[in-house]
Amino acid sequence: MTAAARRLVTAAVTLVLVTLIVFALLVALPGDASGDDETARRLPDEYRAALRAQYHLDDPLAIRYARWIGDVARGDIGASLREHRPVAAILRERLPASLALNGAALAVVIMIATPLGIGAAWKPGSSLDRAGLAATTALYAVPVFWMALLLQWLFAVRLGWLPLFGIEGDERAGGSLARTADIFRHLVLPVTCLSYGSLAYVSRFVRTALVDAAAGDGGRPARARGATALRYVTVHGTRQAAVPLLTLAGFLIPRLVGGSLLVEEIFNVPGLGSLLFDSVLGRDVPVVLALTLLSGTVTLAAITGADLLAAWADPRVRHGR
Amino acid sequence: MGGERLGPRLAVVAFAIIAVSAVAAPWLAPEPNRIDLESVLAPPSTDHWLGTDGLGRDVLSRLAHGARVSLGVGVVTALVAALIGLPLGAVAGYRGGVWDGAVSRAIEAALCFPGLLIALAILSLAPPWLARLPDTLRLAAALGFLGWTPSARYLRAEFLRLKTGEEILAARAAGASGLRIVVRHLLPRSLAPILVTIAFGASAAALGEAALSFVGVGISPPTPSWGEMLFEAMRHMGTAWWLALFPGLALFVTVYGWNGLAEGVRNWLDPRPRAL
Repeated sequence: MTAAARRLVTAAVTLVLVTLIVFALLVALPGDASGDDETARRLPDEYRAALRAQYHLDDPLAIRYARWIGDVARGDIGASLREHRPVAAILRERLPASLALNGAALAVVIMIATPLGIGAAWKPGSSLDRAGLAATTALYAVPVFWMALLLQWLFAVRLGWLPLFGIEGDERAGGSLARTADIFRHLVLPVTCLSYGSLAYVSRFVRTALVDAAAGDGGRPARARGATALRYVTVHGTRQAAVPLLTLAGFLIPRLVGGSLLVEEIFNVPGLGSLLFDSVLGRDVPVVLALTLLSGTVTLAAITGADLLAAWADPRVRHGR
Repeated sequence: MGGERLGPRLAVVAFAIIAVSAVAAPWLAPEPNRIDLESVLAPPSTDHWLGTDGLGRDVLSRLAHGARVSLGVGVVTALVAALIGLPLGAVAGYRGGVWDGAVSRAIEAALCFPGLLIALAILSLAPPWLARLPDTLRLAAALGFLGWTPSARYLRAEFLRLKTGEEILAARAAGASGLRIVVRHLLPRSLAPILVTIAFGASAAALGEAALSFVGVGISPPTPSWGEMLFEAMRHMGTAWWLALFPGLALFVTVYGWNGLAEGVRNWLDPRPRAL
């Protein structure tokens, strides 16, 4: 338990350090939220000074950061400098699209890559193993924005089967079923683009974990006793492979709240990736800090959680060796 | 038997073509930025083998110069990442304990940063000596600074696995110092994972450079970058297919080539059978 508590404290310290560095870098970048060099020439000096005073942009950095982290500790993540409304409201608006997009992509990756990895692990070196490896490796090398352009051109422009971009059509009058179907149609292309590149990594990870487990002390006797492929993989393999698979989960879960900038930009999906992009370019400090805090918390929670669960799943650790 | 090696071999051949055109670009295509308003958006022909773009610039010339950017950024990024990640991974794997904990926490912290902000910061806040470097090198420094975690993780895992081996125990029993064990015994045995992570790092960097240039914060125009060319292609989607097809294909071959190279190095250097 002390190990878990220590990891929690370390994670909190990490978050403070990360947000501090992000804050310092963002403030150090040329330009601020009262306008870049170009707009500065158009805005009267008094107006810019008023903006700077309103945002406390002239206070010492240490005081600005201390004020922010104090507010966060009280549960207030501030207001956007560009949109002049609470950051929490903006996140609430953007989060569903990101979760839907990344969640669907993650589900697709797991549903395709896991069977591929299991199949490959059952007979390493078989034609299934080699074909899966070749196909997923090739897919990994296809740049996502290129794939997006080709899919848009083929399915939206040429065939007209799917919408070109956006997350919802204009016809919102339909029932909830029609609306769900509409969102689904809009998600097909972005989700495809977001998932194919990860197939290689995830299926290989599953394959390696299972092959290692099968070569271990638990796997060989099970196979010698004549366990069927399915039983061997599901019962013996996954249990032996629990630790690497948990590690994999720890790295995949953080993607739910980030990592889709390109796809969001190309398909015009109002998610967190494009919000971060616009906020960094617009020097919107509170929004960037809130997004860093959100993705940092999820990242650390997933990695730390996976670590602790992996320690617990290992009987040697669980029973005190 | 033969089929298993066909993929990597094809990749290496295609990759070699791109590498040669990258090196020879200044002689083969001296003017990648020459604007010819007489032949705007011309389809592939004997004059312009791969067509022209919206400003009448020759796509093949720009593709060759884009190869310099893509391969250059890839190699430098991978080296920068290795220079940061390998020492950290070595210390974590060899010393263990507190050192391992510190490096592991540093890796977790690195994963929490918004990469885009770090890249922008390095590109625009660079100290004068760095600001004087060309675009490509600064972009590579930024991407390398972002991408050091895999090399640290792999070397750490490799050292953890190796250091309990008999050769290492024998060296330690013979009184070899920690530094000597790392440099003379552990590093040579870890050559395969080191080279493999460098090659994979170059492939990730090629994708990263193209992505940053695609969204407009990477290589600044008019320097040709495949990512920027693909962004241009988006505006002419449906009318000028050659604008999107060739840069994408080049990027695909480059990334696939780096990966094939990584696989080849692993099979060549690592005596352990890959498929048990």
